Amino acid sequence: MNGTTRRLNFTDSAFRATTLFFAVAVLLVLGGVIAALIDGSLPALRQFGIGFVATEVWNPVTEQFGAIAPIYGTLITSAIAMLIGVPVSIGIAIFITELCPIWLKRPIGVAIELLAGIPSIIYGIWGLFVFAPIVQGTIQPLLIGTFENVPGLSMLFAGPPYGIGIFTAGLILAIMVLPFITAIARDVFEQVPPMLKEAAYGVGSTTWEVVWHVVIPYTRVGVIGGIMLGLGRALGETMAVTFVIGNAHRISASVLAPGTTISATIANEFTEAVGDLYTSALVALGLILFLITFAVLAVARLLLLRYERKAER
Amino acid sequence: MDLYARRRHKNAAAMGLSLAATAMGLGWLVAILGSLLWNGLSGLSLQVFTQMTPPPGSDGGLLNAIAGSLVMTVLATLIGAPVGMLAGTYMAEYGKYSRLTVVVRFINDVLLSAPSIIVGLFIYEVMVIRMGHFSAWAGAVALAVLVIPVVVRTTEDMLNLVPNSLREAAAALGAPRYHVILQVSYRAARAGIITGILLAVARISGETAPLLFTALNNQFWSTDMNAPMANLPVTIFQFALSPYADWQKLAWAGALTITFAILALNVGARALSAGKANLK
Amino acid sequence: MIDGNAGDGHDMNGREKVAARNLSFFYNGHRALNRISLPIYERRVTAIIGPSGCGKSTLLRVLNRIYDLYPNQRAEGEVLLDGADILSPRQDVNLLRAKVGMVFQKPTPFPMTIYDNIAFGMRLYERLPRAEMDERVESALRRAALWDEVKDKLGAGGLDLSGGQQQRLCIARTIALKPEVILLDEPCSALDPISTAKIEELIDELKSDYTIAIVTHNMQQAARTSNFTAFMYLGELIEFDRTDTIFTNPREKRTQDYITGRFG
Repeated sequence: MNGTTRRLNFTDSAFRATTLFFAVAVLLVLGGVIAALIDGSLPALRQFGIGFVATEVWNPVTEQFGAIAPIYGTLITSAIAMLIGVPVSIGIAIFITELCPIWLKRPIGVAIELLAGIPSIIYGIWGLFVFAPIVQGTIQPLLIGTFENVPGLSMLFAGPPYGIGIFTAGLILAIMVLPFITAIARDVFEQVPPMLKEAAYGVGSTTWEVVWHVVIPYTRVGVIGGIMLGLGRALGETMAVTFVIGNAHRISASVLAPGTTISATIANEFTEAVGDLYTSALVALGLILFLITFAVLAVARLLLLRYERKAER
Repeated sequence: MDLYARRRHKNAAAMGLSLAATAMGLGWLVAILGSLLWNGLSGLSLQVFTQMTPPPGSDGGLLNAIAGSLVMTVLATLIGAPVGMLAGTYMAEYGKYSRLTVVVRFINDVLLSAPSIIVGLFIYEVMVIRMGHFSAWAGAVALAVLVIPVVVRTTEDMLNLVPNSLREAAAALGAPRYHVILQVSYRAARAGIITGILLAVARISGETAPLLFTALNNQFWSTDMNAPMANLPVTIFQFALSPYADWQKLAWAGALTITFAILALNVGARALSAGKANLK
Repeated sequence: MIDGNAGDGHDMNGREKVAARNLSFFYNGHRALNRISLPIYERRVTAIIGPSGCGKSTLLRVLNRIYDLYPNQRAEGEVLLDGADILSPRQDVNLLRAKVGMVFQKPTPFPMTIYDNIAFGMRLYERLPRAEMDERVESALRRAALWDEVKDKLGAGGLDLSGGQQQRLCIARTIALKPEVILLDEPCSALDPISTAKIEELIDELKSDYTIAIVTHNMQQAARTSNFTAFMYLGELIEFDRTDTIFTNPREKRTQDYITGRFG
């Protein structure tokens, strides 16, 4: 009996230590990513210093590298994606939680989740060959025509309609973030205490008034968390954007013009980069992307945690 | 009464918009799957699965790319799933109330949505540079890094659903903790954990960015894990962006294959976890 | 039948198998048991009764240290099993739990076959040949009065049994280990009257071999099944005596109020 006990206790300690090791390994992965990116970007950061994030030139021949154009492209494509994706996602979540007949809830939920399952390269190939021509033929001429004589906006929507470019990339990203934001918005909407909603319906509110005055205020923190999560996805999305952004290292006033993002630049140029400085500049871009997305995702998770705690009470 | 009519109209408008948004979302799914079928079916033939990737202008298939993807996906799962399961086990069992678990959960959630191209860069820095060349191993490890957070998350969640009364009952028979976990908790959470692993497989099957500069790609059949290996996503990427019509056609066929394989995995995984209710 | 000094009439009542001495218990610093001293006699059934929240289940959970699974729960004082303090850090808890078995409020069959449910604990501490294992499984199921109902489907899942059968399976699982003490934590509260009667019969049979402590909120059950009864209230032991004394002639007014249904 004593020998058995010792054996059992030893096995238990060993198993416990193993699981602990791998839990810590998750943290080490994060640490490893940061360390590797910093290490790889040191040559570029030493060469260009803070100027790296303040110049637009990206010239592999003269080995001049500035990150502004891809950073701008990353931010502006994500902004477009949010502008379009957020209202649509919340609309879908409202439909699923408030309007949809029960038997339809699951099929629609599954369909939206399937959108999330489609790999990003598929969005890319579809975006380039199917979607971009449509954008070029209809949406872009319409935008150019509509805002031609509106000061300010005419610059933003200046032609010619290329089809591919910042705007198209933003549209594709909007479709891609849609399932993520919808899923979280739906989940947090469903956690609203029924009593709260019933009370509002009880005084004669319409569905919209219940959503606007009860559901959204109650779930605001959670919804914002979901939006930030979608934003994190949009900022780091690579393949779909690479297909449709046009890969031009410049900042144009018009969102219809081609541009580039951090991830598209890395995907396009990394294997062809000759010279340590070029490679290092690309890794430095990666570091910037990682820092931005890490911050956004961390805020998203903190907001969602805060919401969960509220919902539990 | 006027005010009431206005409120009703406003409600109708808002609900109409939410209906429109849903139609739009479903519309995208139909549009994407539709054009995949439209463009992919014409290129899909037995040849796609039996022949190697061709040089431009000649006939061929995607056999080496499909095989390479399978090899790297399986390896990545074999590496990543146990790591994720053990980490998730610590969080839900031994370390359920520890501060470490809170930190790991937070970091893991961030890694879950971190850009996959960053993982590619990471593995490039720590493996490709050190080994001096691109390799299938590097590709598999990059994919494994993407598997881990998915499996950690689902393992922890599923183990947390196992009622404590079951753990108490096993402990009350004198079973040490590891025995309770292996024999009781894992059994009770089995369907959910497998679902998580399948979802992770689905996720990495289509990943392109982390393979671009780890496994790279290969025009030929290769079984050497230390050499670049063909894979479906990168092949689709290269072929689709090429100017050759027959390559583009193969890219569509590959896109169709990969998408439906992944969607099938997703649906299967969900069906499995839906059935777990009666396993308790 | 007046027994004014129960608790120290050892020769009359039997040997003290388990004894709590000045036992206190804390959840997150909140005191749930206050200096309990209580004997549990060998081969007798001791019932612990009291209103919900009085600490009766907590007391039971100290006796096999199942509370150890959770942080921020702490016991003070002594619990002696055959004279040795089980609260001592040197005590191996797994070994303790193999000796002091426990059956819970809700049936907890493991997600495995009926056979494996019974063999689960035995496989840990003994390497038995298959034939002997089969024998032990059968005898445990027989003792738990379940054998006739399941002998043809030992390979079926434990979850496929009815609630009453599941609870008897859990009892069989516990006695298969040949424990010295069996703790029953409201074992019938989730069962129908017929299953309850079966379990009570079972307890009556088991007491010839085992020391049993049963927590129950059902006073008839305590009266029917036990030799001794402890009445607890707000974390304190109010009164301990022979069961017939407690139910016919309690010393404390609070005990009387409780058993006559005036509160709780």
